[in-house]
Amino acid sequence: MNHAVSLASPSGALRTLALVGHPNVGKSVLFHRLTGTYVTVSNYPGTTVEVSRAAPRFDREASLLDTPGVLALPSRSDDERATMRALLNEDMRTLIQVGDAKNLRRTLNLTALLAELGVPMVMALNMTDEAKARGVHVDAAALGETLGVPVVATVATGGEGVAALTDALPHAAVPAPLLRYDPVLERDIVRIEQLILGTCPHPRLAARGLAILAIGRDPEVEAWLAAQPGSEPLRATLAELTAAIGRDSLPARLARERGGAAEALARTVTQQAGGKDRTLSMLLGRVAVHRLWGWPMLLGVLYLVYLFVGDFGASTLVGLLEEDFFGEVLNPAVTDFVHSHISTPWLADLFVGEYGLWTMGMTYALALILPIVTTFFLAFGVLEDSGYFSRLSVIANRLFAAIGLNGRAVLPMVLGLGCVTMATLTTRILHTPRERLITIYLMALAIPCSAQLGVVLGLLGGISFGATVIWVAAIVLVLLFTGWLASKVVPGRRVPLITELPPMRMPVLGNVLKKTGGRLKWYLIEVIPLFLIGTLIMFVLDRSGALPWIIEAGKPLVVGWLGLPPEASAAFVMGFLRRDFGASGLFALQGELSMVQAVVGMVTITLFVPCIASLMMIVKEQGMKVAALMLAMIIPTAFLVGGLLNHGLRLFF
Amino acid sequence: MNANRTPTHERIRLTGTPVGRMVRITDFGDEIDPLQREQLHAYGLSAAHAVKVLQQTPMTVLLCEHVELAIEHEVARHLWVAMA
Repeated sequence: MNHAVSLASPSGALRTLALVGHPNVGKSVLFHRLTGTYVTVSNYPGTTVEVSRAAPRFDREASLLDTPGVLALPSRSDDERATMRALLNEDMRTLIQVGDAKNLRRTLNLTALLAELGVPMVMALNMTDEAKARGVHVDAAALGETLGVPVVATVATGGEGVAALTDALPHAAVPAPLLRYDPVLERDIVRIEQLILGTCPHPRLAARGLAILAIGRDPEVEAWLAAQPGSEPLRATLAELTAAIGRDSLPARLARERGGAAEALARTVTQQAGGKDRTLSMLLGRVAVHRLWGWPMLLGVLYLVYLFVGDFGASTLVGLLEEDFFGEVLNPAVTDFVHSHISTPWLADLFVGEYGLWTMGMTYALALILPIVTTFFLAFGVLEDSGYFSRLSVIANRLFAAIGLNGRAVLPMVLGLGCVTMATLTTRILHTPRERLITIYLMALAIPCSAQLGVVLGLLGGISFGATVIWVAAIVLVLLFTGWLASKVVPGRRVPLITELPPMRMPVLGNVLKKTGGRLKWYLIEVIPLFLIGTLIMFVLDRSGALPWIIEAGKPLVVGWLGLPPEASAAFVMGFLRRDFGASGLFALQGELSMVQAVVGMVTITLFVPCIASLMMIVKEQGMKVAALMLAMIIPTAFLVGGLLNHGLRLFF
Repeated sequence: MNANRTPTHERIRLTGTPVGRMVRITDFGDEIDPLQREQLHAYGLSAAHAVKVLQQTPMTVLLCEHVELAIEHEVARHLWVAMA
């Protein structure tokens, strides 16, 4: 339904509305419902790490933001800071707080702070279906009356309440404050508020809200204040007030008082009836994190993924597409067509020769990689919507402690199995720069993306299960050893894990297909041009005589140290562009490789340089120096491990 | 650790609580990092609040108002609780 609601501003400037709320409460689903624009939606906290923007259906002149989830404000993690930046820098006219109906106390804890910002607000009390299943009833009308803002019960996944929410937007109002802090805190807040009003009032946000955030040491508010001319006395006063740390620091006292006010209000508007205390979802959730049963469940999940991606995708589908369709039908037809229309031999070769744009570039991208990434993204979509990944962080926590991280790092790493570039961005959910640096390094070194993983499984699975096991063991050992080393070298301390476990849910087929479609589109847009550029480079190197020279020059390393055939040098040249492109090059040599050569080749190419897109993302997140340093460590490590493995395996095979 | 709020004999560490019991948070130990203390507050864990212990290994898992929270022992052992 398209509700035409006018939120026009007198000035005619683009008005901004923002969805804000805790992680995993359904902001992105609601964003999709309100704008028609799809952003990735998952059942684990931290799916959104950047602000998304689109024109809402009800007012194409406005701009609706989907902000990363905030556990609490003042902001602490990078994704929370992104939300705070949006609040500070956008022309914010309306906030839509998306809350979890089954945990109103936590929702109101955030409301207590948002209410002080002076921005008109509407509350979408989401997941009311899950609340109902647990016997929780929230009196939305009473809550709305107390807060002085419209409160609309919604089930965003099913579209319930979305029309009512749209209708409520014109009635958005500045919420009534939930609390007055104790007199000492109030005195400090008023002091800072007056200084802000006197030196640098914000065009949209109330000075009182900014004062509370500043006293809470929000880094984005501090940066904003620092950028305002004449704010030095204000910052000096802030430094004096917030000098104390520990349980009685001002930020801690403010948070405690907000928590108390939220609890009091939640009690008055919530009723708890007897809900189901044992459902299949709960049972599965418990098994997934059980100290004993969690491991067989993990192995079972991995085995099913292997069957679907490694067996069905990389063997059956690739066989049908690459060998039967491309090899027998399409490529001969394209080759005949090109030869009949292009008489210049080198030009014909450019399209359909050994390093032809069609016979190599497009065939690798469409016949070899596409079926693999499609099956992987489908399996991945099912798992992320089920809520299993968050539980994986509990199971993996002890292992990650050995490498100076906590189980939260498993999320970007698992995402890295889909695409390391996207996963590098997701490291923003980690709480410290140290955790981000170590995780990004380990992903760049030892986490293969889905395309590469599929090629690896396709090649090694075709040789023997043992070959696959050796590859997995080698990569895991490198990951653990390098991680352990990094945890000793990178300064800082490990942060213990505290995490929410979202309910296990039955994945919605439509959402899984939509996500898979979006990811495949992204993949094709990124990969096809790179594969074509790579093929062109290989063609030029071959024609100019440089490729035979590279193969010759690479012999001591590739043949002598790694024990691979000389032609494998070409695969490593291809690997500079994308690791899966390089792996495809080795895959093409499969008939010539022994088991040891296949394992060594795949281990080396897995550890080889991250793809260009990932590298660019590392530069964006960590800077040029760090990215260069990572690269300087990754390439020698790949060849060192590959060579050691070659010499080790030859003792036994 | 603040010892004068509740008599010590009534308080136990969260990690020492039997699985399946309802407990009331009585205090946060000083050993808990201020940022993690804020995180716990944000998740809804605060003094006098009742939670159910679902699991103790490999991590402590609590049910706090229909939301499951997993807390590593390094933090959970500094959360003081009393039987609800």
